[in-house]
Amino acid sequence: MEKVQLGGKDIEIDEDGFIQDPDAWDESVARDLAKTEGVDDMTDEHWKVVNYLREYYLEYNMAPMIRKVCKTTGFKLKEIYDLFPSGPAKGACKVAGLPKPTGCV
Amino acid sequence: MELITVSRKGGMAFDVSVGRHHLTCDMAPEDGGAGAGLSPVEMFAGSLGACIAMMVQCYCETCGCDGDVGVSLALELLPKPKRIGAVVVDVELPRGVSEDRRDAIRRVVRECVIHETLRHPPDVDVEILTDRELRPDPEPVGAGTLELRRN
Repeated sequence: MEKVQLGGKDIEIDEDGFIQDPDAWDESVARDLAKTEGVDDMTDEHWKVVNYLREYYLEYNMAPMIRKVCKTTGFKLKEIYDLFPSGPAKGACKVAGLPKPTGCV
Repeated sequence: MELITVSRKGGMAFDVSVGRHHLTCDMAPEDGGAGAGLSPVEMFAGSLGACIAMMVQCYCETCGCDGDVGVSLALELLPKPKRIGAVVVDVELPRGVSEDRRDAIRRVVRECVIHETLRHPPDVDVEILTDRELRPDPEPVGAGTLELRRN
């Protein structure tokens, strides 16, 4: 596993850039992870998605279904992809410090 | 329906051909391809999206709304066995379609062929063709020829 500087800390990431220790996550880590996803400026809309993913993960130890993300945050599918071009799984989950989702599309 | 053929273009890229129409299908670079086309999974979802879009467009035009229907889809994959676990679909209606048509449009979406197929999975009947079936040995050079030479 590679270690990179995220939020001023040395953090282990996998080959797709997902952090390996969810506890290492904080907002400055999220901002740096967002940059790797082409999101240079984390807006309130970005944080709304990221914070929901994070809260859900901490409660249920899994990522929510995409439709649940849409319904809870009030964003349409296309808007989620506008915020995170890699999508809710690969993009938003990575920024939220969640483990890499299974499978690939 | 015309025969659908899939033939290798190179690397992991394949040409999907139906009559005079061609699509390139490839894996993403991170999955070992060159990203020269849609992945099979994306093609599958795109097929569902196109089917829904066409059906809803027809419905809207019947109702006198000829604006453009749009469809966005996202997939969730599940492991063991690796498969599509959920398809999330947003259907964007043209301006002027009233709220009270929402249930009817939902029915139209459910009745599109691809959606119905997902709800009632078809048999997939696969035959594996090896050299023996595809390229049978040519007739051995006949003994008669040899005999002719002898004579």
